[in-house]
Amino acid sequence: MSGNTADKPGTTDSGTDSDSGALNLAASLARSFAASLNVDATVGQALGNVIQLLETEAGSLFLLDDSDTTLVCRASVGPVRIDGLQVPTGQGIVGRVVAEDRLVVVENAYEDKNFFKAADEKSGFVTRSILCAPMRVGDKLIGAVQVLNKRSGKPFDGEHGQDANMLQVMANAAALAISNARLADQLLEQERIKRELELASEIQRSLLPAEDDDLPICGINRPIREVSGDFYDYFELPDGTIAFALGDVSGKGMNAALLMAKTASLFRCLGKTIRDPARLLSILNREICETTSRGMFVTMVAGLYEPATGLLRFANAGHLPPLIKFPDHLYETVMPDAPPLGILKDTHFVDHELNLKGGLFVAFSDGLTEFRYGEEELGVEGLNQLLEYAHHGPLRQRLNMVLAELDQGGWQAKDDLTLLAIDDQSAGKAWQREHPSEMAVPPEGDFLFGLSFPADPSRLKLMRPALEAAAKACRFGEDEIQDLVLAAGEAIENIMVHAYGGQSKGEITLAVHRLPDGIMLRLRDFAPKIDTGKIEPRPLDELRPGGLGTHFIRAIMDDASFIPLPDGEGNLLELVKRRRPAESDQSDRDEADNKGGN
Amino acid sequence: MSVSSVKEEQGKIVIALEGDIDLENAGEVRKALLANLKQKKDLLIDLSAVTYIDSSGIASLVEGLQVARKQKNELSLVSVSIRARRVLELARLDKVFTIHADVAAALAAQP
Repeated sequence: MSGNTADKPGTTDSGTDSDSGALNLAASLARSFAASLNVDATVGQALGNVIQLLETEAGSLFLLDDSDTTLVCRASVGPVRIDGLQVPTGQGIVGRVVAEDRLVVVENAYEDKNFFKAADEKSGFVTRSILCAPMRVGDKLIGAVQVLNKRSGKPFDGEHGQDANMLQVMANAAALAISNARLADQLLEQERIKRELELASEIQRSLLPAEDDDLPICGINRPIREVSGDFYDYFELPDGTIAFALGDVSGKGMNAALLMAKTASLFRCLGKTIRDPARLLSILNREICETTSRGMFVTMVAGLYEPATGLLRFANAGHLPPLIKFPDHLYETVMPDAPPLGILKDTHFVDHELNLKGGLFVAFSDGLTEFRYGEEELGVEGLNQLLEYAHHGPLRQRLNMVLAELDQGGWQAKDDLTLLAIDDQSAGKAWQREHPSEMAVPPEGDFLFGLSFPADPSRLKLMRPALEAAAKACRFGEDEIQDLVLAAGEAIENIMVHAYGGQSKGEITLAVHRLPDGIMLRLRDFAPKIDTGKIEPRPLDELRPGGLGTHFIRAIMDDASFIPLPDGEGNLLELVKRRRPAESDQSDRDEADNKGGN
Repeated sequence: MSVSSVKEEQGKIVIALEGDIDLENAGEVRKALLANLKQKKDLLIDLSAVTYIDSSGIASLVEGLQVARKQKNELSLVSVSIRARRVLELARLDKVFTIHADVAAALAAQP
């Protein structure tokens, strides 16, 4: 065992010149090794250097395989090429060196019972003496290097001799270089896998539908890895009906992603012709049962939605029940009534039909409801509350708000997050279609209501409660609400008196839109075009009745302007009022107005 | 009904208005004011029950005020609701009209 310790670098106490020569050589070797990041090249170079330095006739380098039980010759120099030769640890000289983790000197090979003669017999080479050293990186043995027959004909000097020391130093330097090259190989491999995953991820994203903010449907998929086992899809059929699906493949990683790709492609193909969600799932199920490896399955919701009527038909294959949220803030779910796809070939699926009536339909993956939110998991009730919180703006923005709110909690997602929502706009659609000019609002606004009425003063009092409620819905303060109702009333009276000449005839339409920071009213009449230049608030110091209305509108609203319409299409007035940040602003404003008026 | 009662107290005519006053019924208010002004007496307009008044209602009051001044009568407003006061302020007429807290205060006030 004393030989064992002496073999280890740094523990030799005999600092001779030849030792330092070997060290210098080892150092320069290590430098040249470091430049080579290829394992095979490094192994060959290491063996060549050892043979050159120790002046031997032959040599070979063995590395342990992955099982750590077999040595494989990775390079050989000399008359006998034994590359690829496998030796179990413990057998032969090399095997013994590795098994015992110590340098071995064999002065006469044929006298050593461990010597493996077969190679000599085959080649005619005569092995005389052998020097073999284990290759170690830190505590880890990676193989052994052996040299045969000194060219000088002399045997190798003993276990503590110069040859042994040099070989051991070289063996360790080579071991380090090989280990580095292996790490570099692994990095390259990882890099390659990463690139492939990125490609897979890109292909997968391309399977998701393109964003189309004109459709009342929107989905989000946020994988936690490069590839996802979740998917959603939707597309518009020629008659305007939208086919949609959301699915979740069991398991994660590449196999789930591949099954996802298959299911999504099948859906997109079948969904274009099959107008029956239950039948579609049934065909998908048979296809997946036939060809998918055991143990994998897909939960999925698929359906059809008619934007014109709000009618929705869907079937559920073992997926979490979608959340159906009606405008009165209640929500309901329909429990799944069939197992996931890919389990039973003869599964019967059921269609559910409902009218969204201006509500919201949200399908989601369990990654979402199992997301840690506050003290516990989000759950369906939590999702409902988040949707309530994110009730404003375009659908995509609302879904992003839900995810952003979840992210605020500081918890990491444990699973892919996937959401698909349909925002039914069918309620009020007819009115909106017939009144395109009144409906044009900034994208961040949303339509509250619209109505048409005769230009008759008796209708004014019918308007006020609706406007009051709308202003309340836009979170105005009580005083602002009263002001707003006054200004809107004045604008309508102006139309009755000036545009229609007080005849109590003609039609007026009013569209009320909520803005993120206020309210927008659009008033339309069908009277001859009015000369907007003539509309001026009258001077207030002049004491006479009439003409006050325009002054009220200007004093109360933040913006009052006419939107140009083609000749013969009447007049369109747009009124905007924004919420005051604080009470003090109101009095400042009044003061400023007073000064201006005087 | 925009005009809920008309009565005479200590030589002044008290006209009480009520409800919402807008383009639909401001004409009635105007007629009632002008008709009563023909008696050449001071008018007190009680606005305590007015829930809404717009520019056409205010215009009727202004017209009444102008006629009253011409014939050297007083037209004052009493019991002005917060809402009505806000609209008068918007019209910068809160200083033009004489405003009393209620009918009793108006009767006690020296002309």
